[in-house]
Amino acid sequence: MMTQTSTQQHTLSIQTRHEAVVVERLLQVTRYRGFTLAGLELKPLADFSGLLITLSVVSDKPISLLLNQLNKLYDVQHLELHASSTAALRA
Amino acid sequence: MTGAELVVKLLTEHGVHSVFGYPGGAIMPIYDALYQSPVKHYLCRHEQGGGFSAIGYARASGNTGVCLATSGPGATNLITALADALLDSVPVVAITGQVSQAVAGTDAFQEVDVLGMSLTCTKHSFYVRDVADLAETLREAFALAQSGRPGPVLVDIPKDVQLAQVDYRPEPLRAVASVAGSLQFSAEIAAARALLTQAKQPMAYIGGGVHMADALAELQTFLATTGMPSVTTLKAMGSVAKNNPLYLGMLGMHGTQGANLAVQQADLLVCLGARFDDRVTGNLKKFAPNAKVIHIDIDPAEINKLRLADVAMLGDLKQLLPALTLPLHCADWQAQCAGLKQQYGWRYDHPGERIYAPLLLKQLSDHLPDNAVVSCDVGQHQMWVAQHMRFNSPRNHLSSGGLGTMGFGLPAAIGAKVSRPQDLSVLVTGDGSFMMNVQELATIKRFRLPVKIIVLDNQRLGMVKQWQQLFFAGRYSETDLSDNPDFVSLAAAFAIPGHSISRKEEVAPALDAMFSWPGPYLLHVRIDETDNVWPLVPPGAANQDMMTDLPQWEE
Repeated sequence: MMTQTSTQQHTLSIQTRHEAVVVERLLQVTRYRGFTLAGLELKPLADFSGLLITLSVVSDKPISLLLNQLNKLYDVQHLELHASSTAALRA
Repeated sequence: MTGAELVVKLLTEHGVHSVFGYPGGAIMPIYDALYQSPVKHYLCRHEQGGGFSAIGYARASGNTGVCLATSGPGATNLITALADALLDSVPVVAITGQVSQAVAGTDAFQEVDVLGMSLTCTKHSFYVRDVADLAETLREAFALAQSGRPGPVLVDIPKDVQLAQVDYRPEPLRAVASVAGSLQFSAEIAAARALLTQAKQPMAYIGGGVHMADALAELQTFLATTGMPSVTTLKAMGSVAKNNPLYLGMLGMHGTQGANLAVQQADLLVCLGARFDDRVTGNLKKFAPNAKVIHIDIDPAEINKLRLADVAMLGDLKQLLPALTLPLHCADWQAQCAGLKQQYGWRYDHPGERIYAPLLLKQLSDHLPDNAVVSCDVGQHQMWVAQHMRFNSPRNHLSSGGLGTMGFGLPAAIGAKVSRPQDLSVLVTGDGSFMMNVQELATIKRFRLPVKIIVLDNQRLGMVKQWQQLFFAGRYSETDLSDNPDFVSLAAAFAIPGHSISRKEEVAPALDAMFSWPGPYLLHVRIDETDNVWPLVPPGAANQDMMTDLPQWEE
């Protein structure tokens, strides 16, 4: 397994189908695969054919593990890792 | 036609002639449409039985299995089977009735959020709001179940959608999504061939993905041409030709000593459609510590998930294996592996008159024709089946691998018999597992399915008891099943004849009697509760550190 010990925050841009359950799917996969939610924004596309979602997560696991799982979701049409940075941990 | 009639029409459109399920209020329109339809419905006696029968049907045939359930408890009872199908990558379409949309979200009778429940145990799930979307949804569900890495897809259909009127427009069957990029790997193929050429001790680690890619013929050619020794996972048993002298058997927690020792010594691991599961690797950090890894899989999420690959290819094994098929020069390694295989071969000279389950299973394996499908449950008997029986196809060995679900075997054997009526369907189960879906004996009775059932009865929850013996200081918490029912009488209550044996000399004639009987049959086999599964890699240990019997302090 790719090892990575430092906790990092990652921001993902995701375009999905406009399905009612799609946000639950994203959050379920995020939690189950060991990533903590740090931010979530969403808005529909102009024609309401899909959703644009910005998802921020924190984890000490390689982000590729989450990207690969999210990319498999039927409703995910486009996914991009927007930014990664070392997370500021609360005392 | 109604939405319900459209469902049945689309089943036939997809070549589905047999479905498994149980009716109830919210799915009554679909059951009405099934009445006198060309689709044969197998009434199971619990929705979980219906789900596992659909899995058995799919795994034995390669076709998509279909199961039906009503809303609420019907759907919740399906969940375990869906999780099983997800972890073992089985193409299943589950159709559930749901309460009408007029009362949805009001805690209506038998209403539960099936879509929400399905998120963790399906490849994808749909809720159909409009009958106009029903055909498209079902067509997509069937394509999705089989595409890429197969898996279960659930379609939840409210009762009002089932009752609504809709036109049927035939369409050609939707192509299963092809694998993109398999031919774009020229650099990776070159790198993999270089690793193969440099390797002195290569080992093929074969998983269930090979046969699901329909690449068994390519695998035999690869193994024969490279001369590479091989091991398989539980799901891949039967992938390597029985007469391959360099096949070392199953690896992992209860794998053969030869397989585990050879893998630990390998300098190159060629992982084909497998996923470095913890039951395979033991202590992951100590697994095949000196090996470089070539990993080929169809699922991108499996690449580098647990073990970093030196060369990874995401694609179709049927296309990629021939590109890696080249002669290698590893005669010393071949001799070493052949030596390990011989040195650690199974012994069946168990003392005493009592029946020794591994020997019985070897006798059974020798007795069965090549086309027999053997289903099993979960526990000690499952590992003995994997260790001591030989299969000529993974479709002939149905075992709940990833989820490890007790209660899988009996309904899976039913599904196998339905999908391959000309072939023998045999269940090997344990006394604990058998009771978990024992109600499916009624399904066997109703449809006169000639399933042969062998119950290995040690009056214990054997695998848990073994771990209690080894790792919990012999504190046998809740593993005594000595108040089991009389299994032969139980079978008789379902008009299934049976016989009970307890001595080695009774095994051969009992097998002859069971297989000469034309209908279903139950053979009850009393075995000693002190017999354990060996070898065993203890939790946290490396695979070379197998226990091969009880430690001295236990004796």
